[in-house]
Amino acid sequence: MSNFKVLEIKQNVFENNNRLADSLRKDLKKDKTFLLNLMSSPGSGKTTTLTKTINSLKDEMNIGVIEADIDSSVDANTIFQTGAKVIQLHTGGMCHLDAGMTKQGLIGLGTKEIDFAILENVGNLVCPAEFDTGASKNAMILSVPEGDDKPLKYPLMFSIVDVLLINKIDVIEHFDFDLEAVKERAMKLNPNIKIIPISARTGEGIDEWVDWIRTEVKKWNS
Amino acid sequence: MHELGVVIEVVKTVEKFAAANHLVKIDTLVLQIGELSSMIPRYIKECYPAAVDGTILQDTELKIEIIPGNAICKDCNKVFNIIKNNGKCPCCKSKNWDLLSGKEFFIKEIVAC
Repeated sequence: MSNFKVLEIKQNVFENNNRLADSLRKDLKKDKTFLLNLMSSPGSGKTTTLTKTINSLKDEMNIGVIEADIDSSVDANTIFQTGAKVIQLHTGGMCHLDAGMTKQGLIGLGTKEIDFAILENVGNLVCPAEFDTGASKNAMILSVPEGDDKPLKYPLMFSIVDVLLINKIDVIEHFDFDLEAVKERAMKLNPNIKIIPISARTGEGIDEWVDWIRTEVKKWNS
Repeated sequence: MHELGVVIEVVKTVEKFAAANHLVKIDTLVLQIGELSSMIPRYIKECYPAAVDGTILQDTELKIEIIPGNAICKDCNKVFNIIKNNGKCPCCKSKNWDLLSGKEFFIKEIVAC
């Protein structure tokens, strides 16, 4: 034991990941690829929203999708039908993606010819919020059936995203979902958050969402 | 249980540090966790043996120091613990305060040779 000594590390646990994420963002900027990290609970309608989004934008830009799941390729097959380039990542039980895994996905996708890349993160409102993936912007989907209390339960997620999509707005009358309360709770955590109510099924609100993407892609790739 | 992924991140950082400093054996790892961070010390301890299995941290002792969630009142300058006082200054009952500490999640130090 006499040879043992105390060595100070004093390092933020997320520092390595943050550094890798920053360097990934720089590469994406250079390659003119806008990367959107899309997060949500399982079953909130991420894949349906993506399908609608891709169909609205595919004539204007080259789109690539990285699907991250613990297992299966169900989502990748659905996205493949839209004609977008898609790659499936298996996290092998891990509940989130970090910058290293995102980098692998981007290499698989090949960013040179992609203008707009979407990372469909693992369905989870906790862990993905902790890890910077290197994305240009972060968005999340909250669906009406999940309830209006989610900003109170998962504050970190709501405080780190640039956009909050409130999906399944077409069925709001069947649920005790207070849209104004959600907006207020989310704005309290994150005053700059952009909130767009949508229905991936009926197409309501998709135009506004797609407009936001258009503007951001242009800004990033200019 | 999102602690496991995070502890694996800790292992990666320590492995790098150990390689850079030519360490051969680690005895103890000390983490600092803020009361207001999203990490639960009990879960960190529970998943630690699994996360470090087969790494340089295998068979090491894990110590966790808790950093209090403290704030300073902007109205009367009192320093107080946010959790114990339900987010209100115990002196003037103000909710107008600045956070001083409690969101940290640091690898503080290791005992090694």
